[in-house]
Amino acid sequence: MKKSLRWGAIVAAATVTTLALAACGSSGGSSTDGKSIKVVIAEYSKDHTKKFWDEFAKTYEKQTGVELKLQVISWNDIDQQTSTMVQNNNAPDILNLNAYASYAADGLLYDSSEVLPAATKADIIPAFVKSGTYKGKFYGFPDLSSARALFYNTDLFSKAGIAAAPTTWDEFVADAKKVEALGDGNVGYALPLGPEEAQAEFAIWLFNNGGEFKDDGKWTLNSAANVKTLEFLRDLNVKDKVTQNNPGSTNRTDGAFSLFEQGKAGMVVGFSPLQQALADDHPDVKYAIAPMPSGDGAEPQTYGVTDYLMAFKKDGNKDAVKAFYKLYYQADQINKWIKSEGFLPVTTSGLKEFADDPDLKVYLDTLPNIHLTPTDDPEWDKVKLTIQQNIGLAVGENGDPKKFLDDLQAQAEANK
Amino acid sequence: MSTLTARNSALLKGRRRTGWKAARRWVMPLGGLGVILFFLWPYLVMLFDALRPSGEVLATPPTFFPKTWTTDAFAQVVTDPAFHNWLRSSLVVAVAATIIVIVVAIPAAYFTARFSFRGRMVFLGLVVVTQMFAPTSLVVGLYREFYDLGLINTYAALILTDAAFNIAFALWILRGFFSAIPKDIEEAAALDGCSRVGTLFRVMLPLTLPGIVTAITFTFIAAWNEYVVALTLIQDDALKPLTVGISSYVTAYEQNWSQLFAASLIAIVPVVILFALIEKHLVGGLTAGAVK
Amino acid sequence: MLWLGPALILIVGVVLYPAITLVATSFSSYSITGLRKGDAGITNYTTFLTSPDLPKVVGNTAIWVAAVVVITIILSLALAQFLSKEFFGRRFVRWAVIVPWAAALVISSQLFRLILDYYHGILNQVLLDVHIIAQPIDWLGDPHFTLPSMIAVGIFVTIPFTAYLFVAGLNGIPGDVYEAARIDGGSPWQIYRAITLPLLRPTLLIAVVLNMIYVFNSFPVIWILNGSNPGFGNDTLITYMYKLAFRSAQHDVGLSAAAGVFNVLLILIAVAVYLRFVNWREGSKNA
Repeated sequence: MKKSLRWGAIVAAATVTTLALAACGSSGGSSTDGKSIKVVIAEYSKDHTKKFWDEFAKTYEKQTGVELKLQVISWNDIDQQTSTMVQNNNAPDILNLNAYASYAADGLLYDSSEVLPAATKADIIPAFVKSGTYKGKFYGFPDLSSARALFYNTDLFSKAGIAAAPTTWDEFVADAKKVEALGDGNVGYALPLGPEEAQAEFAIWLFNNGGEFKDDGKWTLNSAANVKTLEFLRDLNVKDKVTQNNPGSTNRTDGAFSLFEQGKAGMVVGFSPLQQALADDHPDVKYAIAPMPSGDGAEPQTYGVTDYLMAFKKDGNKDAVKAFYKLYYQADQINKWIKSEGFLPVTTSGLKEFADDPDLKVYLDTLPNIHLTPTDDPEWDKVKLTIQQNIGLAVGENGDPKKFLDDLQAQAEANK
Repeated sequence: MSTLTARNSALLKGRRRTGWKAARRWVMPLGGLGVILFFLWPYLVMLFDALRPSGEVLATPPTFFPKTWTTDAFAQVVTDPAFHNWLRSSLVVAVAATIIVIVVAIPAAYFTARFSFRGRMVFLGLVVVTQMFAPTSLVVGLYREFYDLGLINTYAALILTDAAFNIAFALWILRGFFSAIPKDIEEAAALDGCSRVGTLFRVMLPLTLPGIVTAITFTFIAAWNEYVVALTLIQDDALKPLTVGISSYVTAYEQNWSQLFAASLIAIVPVVILFALIEKHLVGGLTAGAVK
Repeated sequence: MLWLGPALILIVGVVLYPAITLVATSFSSYSITGLRKGDAGITNYTTFLTSPDLPKVVGNTAIWVAAVVVITIILSLALAQFLSKEFFGRRFVRWAVIVPWAAALVISSQLFRLILDYYHGILNQVLLDVHIIAQPIDWLGDPHFTLPSMIAVGIFVTIPFTAYLFVAGLNGIPGDVYEAARIDGGSPWQIYRAITLPLLRPTLLIAVVLNMIYVFNSFPVIWILNGSNPGFGNDTLITYMYKLAFRSAQHDVGLSAAAGVFNVLLILIAVAVYLRFVNWREGSKNA
């Protein structure tokens, strides 16, 4: 009897203590003392990301006397970790992520008028400023950019008797069929529509058929042009049979890119990290880069992406945040990092600095006119997730491209 | 008549036993080889992937043996100071968590096995229920809790969490072992003048050694391989354990497959060493003969 | 209370608070960013329970748990018998068996993902070379093969732990019991069924219950092997819960928390039903 009473008391005490702890400290960290800032950076690579940011932290601390607490998180986990921090009212001061509009919509971020030097804003490539602007205010400051282009294997092309890269979709299909005809496990076109970055693959084809995700403020996901594009992609898989096995279940890094790196794919949509991987690990693959083939006869469109370095509003951290951006956007900082990671600049001054790199020329020329996805709309964050998760099903044997896009359009409009 | 048959059957059985005993000497080890191959073949693949250049890992078509043999991946991993940090972190956390679990679970298991008390079922049920929560569900709350306690980004947070999540198993298995020991042994020890604690240490524990070995193995491995809680609670690179650190070898933009596998293989070694040291105690307990 | 206290404090202290947080989250409404917007009542639960993908996911989970647990138990019992016998080289066999358990589940899953890959996988290559198949098989992407492949990997990584549970359990059985049975003239199989299995019952119980829980909650195997597949067709409740929070159109941690609570209740009921089914009564087996 006495034992169980004592036992009950212990349980009660433990419970009360934890609940008490829960109650106190729940005001969390929405204010800081200005003596330190927390910076969360996504891990682009093992060798370069941490190296740059550790040095940056030292420089920053010397300049400002404010401690910079750095956390580098893998891209696979950063979404979950960020959510955990926000749920606990403990968001970082600076966050590196591939989306910003939802955070802006929740009123969590500083806009450029509060923390970004005016000269920097003027220097950032206008297309990126536009894409980082939500409801008239610039929140999504770009950290680096990348652009996509068509990579093709010159050995396979010459073996298949193809003289030049395709410029129209019909030529593209014909060329892919010729490469397939070579046999020996060769694939005409490596199409990655698996959950990793399917929206990027879809976007580049979509833009080159005169389509848009949004036009004039309205969603145009299921426009006639877009439906044609998705049907085209499905045909590549099901009718023309010029893609690798099961594009809906293929991601880039261990699927589409790896096939191209092994010299087994005629064409793939790639970007500068792929170039680096080819140079480092697969020097025997002979390839060239060309603009995307056009579906509607218009000029080739390039698709690009930036990630963001956004700042969370907290009492007392404005000055520290300002100093951060001032330092980061200095040419010797930002361009140093971008170069080491193998990406593209985000500033007009950076364009000039990178211009003498022959490998990047093909992208740099297109950067100012680059096509981006509508990242300035919080609804895009959800649309993107749906595309990533489900578009693979739409290009399979039993896929229905029109239905997929109609459902997507309905989803986007429903939440307006 | 019956004794004759009995003797005959014993003789027959003896002969059969001799036949099997002879074959046994090589059949069993052969079977053992088969078992070894069955459990090790994927890790052989991993070994060969670690011994080939990173670009060859995703070769199409793949080859079992490397086309180009290279120990670069191992060299890079072993000389990487970040890797040393990860290894040290994992060791600290796993060893500490294991010690805590054993020290805490043994008395609790003994008490629950021997004494019926009000709420015993509730206690045991509570213990099992804690196992039912997926760690992914709990990370947000864990983060908050340790943040409030000022323990975020410390070994202590990780050690306590790993210990708490693994007590259930240790408790259950040890409880089973304690229950199986006949009461007369304890009574004999008590008659000999042993205190309760003394009985526990000198008499009961040796008999439950297989259970303790299993509990140690289980807890160490669970703490050694834990990922999502470590990812959430630890922010400094210097404190990251192996599981989190190793994941940085392959990112969306840069894939060092051979290094990933080399590091993973090295990470397996401490566990196997620990197990090799204690596995002989998996035999023991009541069969040790110390009972009588 | 010195006996139970530390264990209790540790468990309650570390697990209770996050569990309460989980429940509180499930009744709240969250923005896509993780910012709490307010109370949600039971909307998260109703949304979760009426989602069109749920039946398939529950079905997958049931098959996954049942197949892995049952097959693992059977194979582990056999393996444990083998590992308990004395023979030359037994030590090396024991060390080999520990390796799949010693390797992090994430790494083993990543490894099998490569081995089972359509283009880069050694399995297809070997099967093609030996002429067992004429075309490569899409082990991970073809819906007919995805779940079986995941189950096979799940069994592979679960056998070591279970086998060692049984080895420990077998060693708790006094040797004279076997002697007596042998003298009475039973075949090995008869002895096993009549003597060993019943004496292994407590260990068997722990093995089944713990494996049910761990396999149900197992994340890395499904997540990585299914990682390139679209939709939710091969997800189990645990990966589905994660996707609801971070990979689906909803990207809603409140919804995911409701799923989390549902999962805990489900496995709780499953274990309770199992225990009732085997008629487990406290202390009935022991002195």
